[in-house]
Amino acid sequence: MMEFFEANKDIILFTGVAAVKLAAFLGAVMGFAGIMTLAERKVSALMQDRVGPNRASVFGFAFNGLFQPAADGIKMILKEDFMPARAEKLLFTLAPFFALVPVLLLFAVIPFGDYFMASGYMVELQIADLPLGLFLILAVSGLAIYGVFLGGWASKNNFALLGAMRGAAQMVSYEVVLGLTLAGLMMIYGSASLQDMVRAQGRLLFGFVPAWGVVCQPFAFVLFLTAAIAENKRTPFDLVEGESEIIGYFMEYSSMRFATFMFAEFVEIILVAMLTATLFFGGWQVPYLYDTGFMFPGGALLPLGHHLVAALQVGAFAAKTVFFCWFLLIVRWTLPRFRFDQLMGLCWKALLPLSLLNILATGAVLTFLAR
Amino acid sequence: MILTAATYFFGASAALATLLMLFQRDPVKAAMLMLAALLSTAGLYLTFSAQLLAALQVILYAGAIMTLFIVALTVTPAAWRDKPGKGSFSRILGLAAAALILTELLKVSAEFKTVVFSPEFSETGTLDLARALFGRFAFQFELLSLVILTSIVAAVTLISKRKAV
Repeated sequence: MMEFFEANKDIILFTGVAAVKLAAFLGAVMGFAGIMTLAERKVSALMQDRVGPNRASVFGFAFNGLFQPAADGIKMILKEDFMPARAEKLLFTLAPFFALVPVLLLFAVIPFGDYFMASGYMVELQIADLPLGLFLILAVSGLAIYGVFLGGWASKNNFALLGAMRGAAQMVSYEVVLGLTLAGLMMIYGSASLQDMVRAQGRLLFGFVPAWGVVCQPFAFVLFLTAAIAENKRTPFDLVEGESEIIGYFMEYSSMRFATFMFAEFVEIILVAMLTATLFFGGWQVPYLYDTGFMFPGGALLPLGHHLVAALQVGAFAAKTVFFCWFLLIVRWTLPRFRFDQLMGLCWKALLPLSLLNILATGAVLTFLAR
Repeated sequence: MILTAATYFFGASAALATLLMLFQRDPVKAAMLMLAALLSTAGLYLTFSAQLLAALQVILYAGAIMTLFIVALTVTPAAWRDKPGKGSFSRILGLAAAALILTELLKVSAEFKTVVFSPEFSETGTLDLARALFGRFAFQFELLSLVILTSIVAAVTLISKRKAV
């Protein structure tokens, strides 16, 4: 037994560390997604001058609605799991997975910190540092369309199919813009690995401005955020589901199957927030914080221990994620919904040419700087 | 060992999905089986450590082209009906096309006895590909964009004609 352990020490250690990272990071994301369902309702209540959910309680303690996500979960599990008689059984069952799995898969390439030294071993604070992480994001997020389409088609309901068609058209259109805005970032950072991109954002421009993506590619940031909200199918781009007015692709779904679609949307909010933070706001970078501590532009130093630096970086990433999640919630409850032709017009006539221009401008600037 | 097993697994699932697709009458289910075949092929590329090719396979084929197929399928009457329409002529045409492709494939595959791949490919693959596309084959690569331009012009003409009527 010990011999086997000694012989395969590297593999066992690698697997164990990967499993711990997976459990910790995905656990945090899933827990936060649960809180997001409450936050969404609280923000909407705030915007509409209501109180929001505050009744779910354990032994009389409600903590202003903190138990609401748990109550919602229990309710969803206990509800009747209904499937239309003429539905395609297999595809109807598969559709919620198609919605949730691609989103969860993408957390693997997001770096939530630099590295961490534990008893002589260096632990990368990222589940998988793929050299082509950005391509993986584009590839896997393209697969999320099938969840929408299958959900609508397999329920054999014409209204659901109409919703699915709207969804497929919208997602495939905005996918193009999403890919083109990322191309500019790849040109600047010269890498498709997200960890490399975040490390490159630690540099300083003119000696004091952090070289964050939003500074180098401000235009791409606006385009990316717009396209990402559209991919996420949230207001002002929520014509895919349109909860109360136009019926969406998951109208035949109930119980946990429906909850999976909803949960996937909340997990995707976190994903969009994390991607925005990683690509445009320095990821885990704290301005002027380096391996050994703070080093301010004036020359002032503040040495810090390694563990404190690592904790600060992970904390910075978490704070940025929470900020963008909050921003996405605010956007949803502030803006009215587009009409469908406006939505498609915005994508193909405004965002797409602008993102192409952005690539052109980035290339021109890079060529000019290289001279 | 694991890589070899994965290669056979993805190859078998790609072949199986393609076969099932050929005998599937429902167009949407056939499209789903084709998606499975495309994803298995992407997995096959991954086992050959051609990561960029795998990513592009998923982005272009599974993400873009298959979605286009599916959107096109939903506007056909077949998607809105339960039973697919029957047509013996189209069936014969389809069988003939399948037979043609099968003979072509058999002819081509007869020449490949062993699969050769180098594990070093992935390390420089992307950069080499970019150099080849924008260096040696830049002219041919740019020529390709003319094809896309033509199709865009054609699409715009089609729409403008419909509006005029």
